[in-house]
Amino acid sequence: MLAKPKSDYDITLTIRSEVEQISLLCEALHALCLYASGSAECAFAVQQAAAEAINNVVEHAYHNQPDNEIVVGWYQEERQIHIDILDTGLSMVRLPKPILPDFEAESSRGWWIINASVDKYFYQTICDTFAGPVLHPGGIGTDFKVLENIPHTNILTLLKRF
Amino acid sequence: MVINEQKHDDIDIVILSGRFVMADAPEVRERLKTLVEAGQGKLLVNMESVTFIDSSACAVLISAFKAMQLKTGRLVLVNSPIVQSLIELTRLHTVFEIMPNAEAAIAALAAG
Repeated sequence: MLAKPKSDYDITLTIRSEVEQISLLCEALHALCLYASGSAECAFAVQQAAAEAINNVVEHAYHNQPDNEIVVGWYQEERQIHIDILDTGLSMVRLPKPILPDFEAESSRGWWIINASVDKYFYQTICDTFAGPVLHPGGIGTDFKVLENIPHTNILTLLKRF
Repeated sequence: MVINEQKHDDIDIVILSGRFVMADAPEVRERLKTLVEAGQGKLLVNMESVTFIDSSACAVLISAFKAMQLKTGRLVLVNSPIVQSLIELTRLHTVFEIMPNAEAAIAALAAG
C-alpha cells in the first residue's frame, strides 16, 4: 500500500519489480519528457537516471523478487520535470554520494550516472504515522529496521529542468 | 538485445544490438566469459547498434576486460554514440581500448 496518493501526479506508471519491465517504463518516461520538454537531451538524461534508479529498486529494495510493485509518478511544473520512484521495499538508511568507484569495481556507478543526468535528487521514507528525513546525497537518516514490518513507501525524487 | 558472434582469423567478434541493460547483463556476461576463456586473446565487442546502455552493461564490460587482462589479451570496443557517452561519463574511456569502427578494430587486433 503506497502512502503517497497517485492523484499527486499528472501521470502514474506502474510495473512489477522484474528486470524485463524496466526498459519499457524508461522508454515511457523518455517519451513523456520529450513531449514536455521538446529536448531529446533532456529526455535521454531522464531515461538514463530512471534506469539506474529503478535498477536499484529491483536489486536492492526488492532483492530481485518479482512480486512487488514499482510506481513512478510524473508531473511537470513550468520548466521542471518531477519524477518520483516509489517502492515499498527495503529502505535506504543513507543516500549514497555520487562517487565514481575505481575501475576494477564492477558496480556502484549508478548514483554517479543519476547525479550527472538530473539537476537534483533526494529520498524519503514515509508511512501513515511517520515521515523520515529527506535525504540528500551523502545524507544519513533513521535506522529503518523498525519499518520492516510496517507499511511504508520509499520515494526517490528526480528533478530535471529544461 | 540480440547477440551475434563472428570470427575473423584469430579474432573473436561479438556484435550486440538493441538495449544492453540489466536484464541482458547475465547472458552477455556469460557469452563474453566463454569467448575470453576459449579464445586466443583477441576480442572485439561491437556495440555500434546498441541503442541504450546502463551501468550493468559497464559492469559486464569491465568483467570481460579484467578476464582478458589475466590472459594478457586485448579487448577492443566499438561504440554507438549513446554507448560512448556513458563510457565517457563513467571515465571508462581512459581504460578501455576503443576504435571508431569494426574495420579499424579488426586491423588493430590483427596487428597484435
